Amino acid sequence: MSDVSVFFLHGLAYAGLLFLVSAGLTLVFGMMNVLNFAHAAMYMLGAYFSFTLLHVTGQFWLCLLVCPVLLFIIGALVERFLLRRVHVYGHLHELLLTFGLAYILTELVKWIWGNYPLAVNIGGFLGTTVQLFGITYPVYRIFIFVCAILVGTAMALILFRTRLGIILRAAVNDSEMVNALGFNVPLVFTGVFAFGAALSGLAGVIAGPLLTTYPGMAHEILIDAFVVIVVGGFGSLGGAVVASLLIGELQSFGVLLFPKLSLALVYMLMAAVLIVKPSGLFGEKQ
Amino acid sequence: MISQKKASYLFIAVLFALGILMPSVIKKYHLNMLTEIIVFALYAVSYNLLLGYAGLLSFGHAMFFGTGAFTVAVALIHIPGLSMWNAILIALLTTTVVGFIAGGFLLRHKGSYFALLTLAFNSLFYAVATKWHRITGGDDGLSITRPDLNFGFTTVKMSVLTNFYYVTLVVIGAAIVFCWYFTKTAMGQTVLLMRENEERMKFLGYNTNVSRLILFTFTGALAGLAGAFYTLHFQFVSQSAISVDMTTTVLLMTFVGGTGTFWGPILGAFVYIIVQNYLSDITDRWPLFMGLIFILMVLLIPGGLSQIIHSIRDLFSRKRDRGKPVAAEEPSS
Repeated sequence: MSDVSVFFLHGLAYAGLLFLVSAGLTLVFGMMNVLNFAHAAMYMLGAYFSFTLLHVTGQFWLCLLVCPVLLFIIGALVERFLLRRVHVYGHLHELLLTFGLAYILTELVKWIWGNYPLAVNIGGFLGTTVQLFGITYPVYRIFIFVCAILVGTAMALILFRTRLGIILRAAVNDSEMVNALGFNVPLVFTGVFAFGAALSGLAGVIAGPLLTTYPGMAHEILIDAFVVIVVGGFGSLGGAVVASLLIGELQSFGVLLFPKLSLALVYMLMAAVLIVKPSGLFGEKQ
Repeated sequence: MISQKKASYLFIAVLFALGILMPSVIKKYHLNMLTEIIVFALYAVSYNLLLGYAGLLSFGHAMFFGTGAFTVAVALIHIPGLSMWNAILIALLTTTVVGFIAGGFLLRHKGSYFALLTLAFNSLFYAVATKWHRITGGDDGLSITRPDLNFGFTTVKMSVLTNFYYVTLVVIGAAIVFCWYFTKTAMGQTVLLMRENEERMKFLGYNTNVSRLILFTFTGALAGLAGAFYTLHFQFVSQSAISVDMTTTVLLMTFVGGTGTFWGPILGAFVYIIVQNYLSDITDRWPLFMGLIFILMVLLIPGGLSQIIHSIRDLFSRKRDRGKPVAAEEPSS
């Protein structure tokens, strides 16, 4: 019985991480209609920045603050000086650009930090375990889930309860009209893209101690995040929550129940959703 | 002035003639490279039919290339006495079936969604190739020996590179010419028009979904053929043949050469492999430089090398035409 609850908690922790990655991805896609293939590469960058910063200062909390800010700046620069430039050529070129960017970032990471896994030890309170419903469980995994809840709630509040949220949602529907009403839509887009990058950076910092930090980590999470978006529905925040939980638990229990099939389970879920409801569980019909 | 069509025939003939002459001109090392270029040229051409002609950006073309590559190896290992032709035929059939099924899933979506799904499917294929150790050899890969060609009256040794080069040149060359012919057929034109205005094509009574599925299956089979020759060329296949990196490679080749034209990707494959060989000699970080070249091209020359060639040609033809009276347009055949 305790086995099941441990695997359930493991699933929750991974779901939290998945949500942090896919929330930024789905936000940028929903707002700007750009599928950012470099999103996971930025997540990886967050993990590596955090590794170095932790190595130098030894303060994990500092990493949680600084790395997302760094990624925010990188994201803003990418949007302003690269993405906006190819926007006129159309959708295909935006995809190609982010894909090329992911490729370059991966190669850069290999160059700077080496093509091998790095271990991250956080120590402190987060590195300890806690007694929970009669089982001993690492604090860090609970911390991930709490982080995801906090970020998700904050995003929902901003989007649906503030003036900024109204402008953002309006810009999705009709960016020209919002522009004409006197709001600086290009700036809004830069902000959204940068915020998405910051979220991926935060996810990267959090992923470091949970998973290993290595150059293949970007591709690994990218596929899972894509599956989350397909299952949850494009551009839907609520869909991302549900799909993250589904896939997190599926990954976790898949290893327990069907060890040989665990890798294929996620894809099977995706294929099933594609057959039954191609627009995803919460997606609007395209 | 010769017509466009005649110029194309002439171009194809010259390319073949050059290809036939090459083994007596260049060294073995370069002949090896040229064989690789020809294999990748077909891969790039098939990819361009999707990207350039149908406007479908796929990040999963390597699943067909890899399926073809693995099928040949598995068939040659498990069926004793299998001839090379039959091995290639099995690979072609397999990739056609795989392309048809995958297309059924993937083509329900367009644009970004399609791109995302193809990447996910490619990862699935990669995962299967890595985990299915008994068949694919997993991380170790599979080694094969090229079987000799038996024409009944004579046997051609495939262990001799020049012989294999000629086989590659003829088979792949024929496949590429077939692709070129395909773009001129009604079906090929339908695909082009679908990219420009799908609504109108539907209105005119074309079943665009079926056309797209046929094209997707066709390009999958072609990529599979290229993959089959990839294995036969290196006499080895590992999961890297089916990885996303293999898709990136074809994307770079096609884009560097130019997606707007039929011949651009062939030029792209040529340039890519030569530059890669050159760069990997001087630095281990060559993928980084390839990536930088790619980003710069996306930003500055979205039409690729073909765009540069065309603008140079325009420059010259304008100069030549200066002072001449404007001639009536030649009726195109």
